[in-house]
Amino acid sequence: MASMEKRLQKELQAMTKDPPPGVQVDQESCSRVMNEWIVDLEGATGTLYEAEKFQLQFKFGSKYPFDSPQVTFLGPNIPIHPHVYSNGHICLSILTEDWSPALSVQSVCLSIVSMLSSCTEKKRPPDNAIYVKTCSKNPKKTRWWYHDDTV
Amino acid sequence: MSAETTSQNNNSPSSEDNNTAEEAAGTYECNICLETANDAVVSMCGHLFCWPCLHQWLETRRSRQTCPVCKAGISKDKVIPIYGRGNPNPQDPREKLPPRPPGQRSEPEGTGAFPNFGFGGDGGFQFSFGIGAFPFGIFASTFNFNDGRPAAPAPGSPQEAEEQFLSKVFLWVGIIFIFWLLIA
Repeated sequence: MASMEKRLQKELQAMTKDPPPGVQVDQESCSRVMNEWIVDLEGATGTLYEAEKFQLQFKFGSKYPFDSPQVTFLGPNIPIHPHVYSNGHICLSILTEDWSPALSVQSVCLSIVSMLSSCTEKKRPPDNAIYVKTCSKNPKKTRWWYHDDTV
Repeated sequence: MSAETTSQNNNSPSSEDNNTAEEAAGTYECNICLETANDAVVSMCGHLFCWPCLHQWLETRRSRQTCPVCKAGISKDKVIPIYGRGNPNPQDPREKLPPRPPGQRSEPEGTGAFPNFGFGGDGGFQFSFGIGAFPFGIFASTFNFNDGRPAAPAPGSPQEAEEQFLSKVFLWVGIIFIFWLLIA
């Protein structure tokens, strides 16, 4: 537990000092409880999501960084993207089976921004309706089936 | 990741020394806990970790042990311990951390159609075979006095002829059986 908090402190420091473009940690959210962060994202310029604002929620378990954080889109604006369900769940392999402890909040944010940026057509996943009805609250409980490497 | 970024914002000349110190520390940060690596080991692919951190990761993904940074194959035997000069009696960090006892798995009890079917161990399945009361059978048939069987029929009577015939039939059956045993 202690090592998890230490590492989150370090990550927060780095993110505050030198945030990647279009990514900003909501300081207020972290100061309340260390294991839940809100991160503000902005769609990269020159992409379908240019100037759009999104919110990501990170939830860290006690095994972080050995276990991946729970990451979902939050709030009124959930991007319309073939890998993002309308309840905010994201189909991204590094959030479950391809997670590695060398990844961080920063690298996850960058992956998500780049996932949005490479999108060519704004649409929901084909199984959105049924997934949203049947899924668990925790996206990590979903057995994701990663099949599309293009976006 | 934060190795190069930590020192970018304090460029004032007064913090020059501080800068280099931070930079140096960043270079030797563990890729997992982001602290300066202690009990440092380096993988064949060149990535630095604290051994306790890496050990925990290897335990987390026992079946698929990969380098957290580059996903190259990695294992306990494929990392190199690093010994600095300051340490008076260097000890391989990989020996320091006692490997945790392996998990033990016991079979669930009383499930399935054959709860006691298994060989050895809990004695669930046993069998034996043999000829019942073997050494006593001989005594029973050979030394059975006073068992009250009827006396032999009178010679020349039809009952005596019948018994002779049956006796011969059984004798031949016995001979044929033994012959069959020998040639089979």
